[in-house]
Amino acid sequence: MLKDFLDSEIYNQILKAFSFNDITEIRLRVNEKIIVAVKNKKYYLKDENNNFLICTKQNIENFITRACHNSVYAYNNNIIQGYITLKNGIRVGLSGNVVVENNKVVTIKDFNSLNIRIPHIIKNCSLIAYDYLVTDEVKNTLIVSPPGAGKTTFLRDLIFQLYNHNLAKNVLIADERNEICATNDAIPQINLGGFCDIYTNCTKKYAFKNGIRSMCPDVIVTDEIDLDCDLQYITEAINCGVNVVATIHAKDLNQLKNKPGFSEIFEKHLFSRYVFLTNDLGPGTLTYIYDDKLNCIYSR
Amino acid sequence: MKWILIAILIFVIMLIAIRLSDQYKDKYDFYFNLKNFLNQFKINVSFRQDKLTDFVANVKPKKQFKLFIDAYSEYLKTNKLNLSEIKILEEEEKNELTQIVMSLGKNDSPTEIMQLENFLISVENNLSSAQENKNKLCPMIIKLSLLFAIGLAILLI
Repeated sequence: MLKDFLDSEIYNQILKAFSFNDITEIRLRVNEKIIVAVKNKKYYLKDENNNFLICTKQNIENFITRACHNSVYAYNNNIIQGYITLKNGIRVGLSGNVVVENNKVVTIKDFNSLNIRIPHIIKNCSLIAYDYLVTDEVKNTLIVSPPGAGKTTFLRDLIFQLYNHNLAKNVLIADERNEICATNDAIPQINLGGFCDIYTNCTKKYAFKNGIRSMCPDVIVTDEIDLDCDLQYITEAINCGVNVVATIHAKDLNQLKNKPGFSEIFEKHLFSRYVFLTNDLGPGTLTYIYDDKLNCIYSR
Repeated sequence: MKWILIAILIFVIMLIAIRLSDQYKDKYDFYFNLKNFLNQFKINVSFRQDKLTDFVANVKPKKQFKLFIDAYSEYLKTNKLNLSEIKILEEEEKNELTQIVMSLGKNDSPTEIMQLENFLISVENNLSSAQENKNKLCPMIIKLSLLFAIGLAILLI
């Protein structure tokens, strides 16, 4: 898959050294060694003479040009937000020189590093939590984990389990960064079951407001909420009788409690379940589930 | 027999003249199509924002412009641009064209549109020049060739 995007020298060396099925992340940084993450371990990529392969600016530029199908203008909205989604749900994080005009980010140029994240489907990774989160309806749930610990993987599996358990709930996916479904030409690259309606590449505000009106969802699923700005739409959705499953970055309960806006969530009992994940036994490892009063109801 | 040979001679000279004048017509057509292509692409960047590969695949080119579109499609796949098949353009024109196509799709939409407008000015100049040559040289070549053929025929008679 990455053959179409990576320079052949890098691609061939990765192919020689690793199995693509095991790779979770590839990091390219200008004038630095290339790092490949395989099952939570990081390795430097070496060339045929066993020297470290150094990433050039050209390597990064070539990757971005190919990832955008030679059409940067068509991907600029994503670039502004710092990512591009490739086929099969591969997510590419970008960093570089952010161009600001009239207090608005116009684009990013002179890219200096890429974080290529290769998704893995971990079947049934949400199954233990399922019975705590779903009865005859889906409980309002906040999935909590540090970055890279499998929130999105867990979320995808949970959506699929709803379908698999014949719950027949209409699920609206507010996929702001096209990370959950990885749609390509309007088709999700990941099997999420047959009850999903998907808004991609739009703000949560747009997806929540318009989605409730036009798609009549039973559940809205969204990734990486920001308590500062997204709380209003989540509250509105819950008050409309729509259940919400969302994810957020935090390592543990204390970090979550320290987040601005959390007190409001807690006082209003917006979420009935808090699911904590880690990377201990691979992405999506379930560690704790708390109820709306923060009583631990599951511990690994 | 002599008359038949003279007729054949006149026919061949006129055929060569038409071929020569066609070069100027083809060049005009090429720049006319290139201008349309860039204009359509500008509209695409402003509104639909289809990927460049999809946009190029939907172009229905003819004659010399088809050679360019084929070469460009190949470039989008392999990153190698070969314009040697386009015989009607001089080296300088090919270099200019290379510069244009290699810059397409490399920017955000406002910058891309601004760049396309600059390219269109340059293509418009080439189009005017090609039109001038077509209007001036094509009839002249035909007339001179006809005169030459008649003169040659008189000499042979």
